[in-house]
Amino acid sequence: MPKHDTPLLDELEKGPWPSFVSDIKRQAEKKPECWDILGQLELSYEEKITHWKHGGIVGVFGYGGGIVGRYSDMPKRFPGVAHFHTVRLNQPSSKFYSTEKLRAICDLWEKYGSGMTNMHGSTGDMVLLGTTTKNLEPLFYELTHDLKQDLGGSGSNLRTPSCCLGKARCEWSCYDTQAICHHLTMHYQDEIHRPAFPYKFKFKFSGCPNDCVASIARSDLSVIGTWRDDIQIDQAAIQAYISGEYNSNAGAHADRDWGKFDIEKEVLSLCPTQCMRMDGDKLQIQTSECTRCMHCINVMPRALKPGKEQGATLLVGAKAPILDGAQFATMIVPFIKIDPENDFQEVIDFIENIWDWWMENGKNRERTGEAIQRVGLPAFLQVMNIEPIPQHIKEPRSNPYVFWKEEEVEGGWTRDVREFRKRHAQ
Amino acid sequence: MALSTEELEEAILAKAAKSPKPQLYIKDFYACDPETKPRAIKNVANGLVKQGKMVFWSSGSTTMYALPNRVKDEEHRTA
Repeated sequence: MPKHDTPLLDELEKGPWPSFVSDIKRQAEKKPECWDILGQLELSYEEKITHWKHGGIVGVFGYGGGIVGRYSDMPKRFPGVAHFHTVRLNQPSSKFYSTEKLRAICDLWEKYGSGMTNMHGSTGDMVLLGTTTKNLEPLFYELTHDLKQDLGGSGSNLRTPSCCLGKARCEWSCYDTQAICHHLTMHYQDEIHRPAFPYKFKFKFSGCPNDCVASIARSDLSVIGTWRDDIQIDQAAIQAYISGEYNSNAGAHADRDWGKFDIEKEVLSLCPTQCMRMDGDKLQIQTSECTRCMHCINVMPRALKPGKEQGATLLVGAKAPILDGAQFATMIVPFIKIDPENDFQEVIDFIENIWDWWMENGKNRERTGEAIQRVGLPAFLQVMNIEPIPQHIKEPRSNPYVFWKEEEVEGGWTRDVREFRKRHAQ
Repeated sequence: MALSTEELEEAILAKAAKSPKPQLYIKDFYACDPETKPRAIKNVANGLVKQGKMVFWSSGSTTMYALPNRVKDEEHRTA
């Protein structure tokens, strides 16, 4: 029997898609506090204002993250959600876990929380939605001692590192994303569990430039697999695609007749740098012009593979819109070997250089990418001890950001600004 | 010369007590000792939380530091 009338929410149960409203109603049969989620949300829809207050001092002993305090601003009317804290669990690399583990987590959450989860949150964590402060410590004890499951990051902490499927299931992965994700998660436990920075910081690892975890848009440090030699070509397989023997895109679009495969139209003319051509019946690729967009490899996976000399590109500074709008990461290091033999030390050195600079120079609530934007890329490159290269420049004619210093120019220069301003008014 | 850990702890607690804002960002404590690296200051501030002399206040996206008696207590306001 519903505790609240929810005519507006009920609209969201119509249509062909799964509905979170139906899910919450089903859960409310077991956990009556869930009726108050619906009641409060209905009120928010009516009034067009949220009734959640977020933030607080809640947490578990020794940790400064992983629990996000949530409170209702109408606790008397909706007592079931007066305290409704969120718990973030660090997901296993690539989100591989057994159904046994998943059932155990869900059972524990039924015991200590609302039973509602978000699998997975946009942070990558397993998100457990809705519990009270008094349940946090017993929940945490059982999570860590019985299920061997730790909390993820929140607040001004290092956020839970996250990676694509990597070499576990993908032939295109240019490095072992799971290995580095797990290693850095263990290496930076203090930074994940306690605040360390002016604001949040996230690593994401993608094995190839398809970037299935959207690291280029969703992480402060994006590690994207790449190669620096030639794309591997199987010319016989190219002919098999042209003749129609092989389905393009591994048959992903085979549910409709798109006509005969046309390599010119579907591959060569769509290459963003026009670095490919057919030389008779041979496909030629000019590697120096290739931007590793992956389109040709995606279309003809049996004929083309990433090169053999593999590593990753490091990009810094992506963020979703908060103050200044969405921002993609900027390529900083075009190629670096990802080496598990030395515990990924080159990547760790790169990370720590960024942190040292950002902790000192970043403003409160300023993401790394925003700090770089504020001081300018040349200043950041200088701090990182990286020589500017043409690939750092987005638009050579409109943002020539590299300025010579006097000591770098033979003979130096002298400049009288007042004389200059007489001719060039500011 | 950089402050000792004990001196830095005292400086951080004094700053948290005197500040008009009840909750402070980690950067607000950097001025307690300009000669100490931010990461070391963060470690001392986090140590004070472990000792129970300060608490973390987190909005979910940002974490701040406060003296326990100065921070808003949502727990009791909404109970």
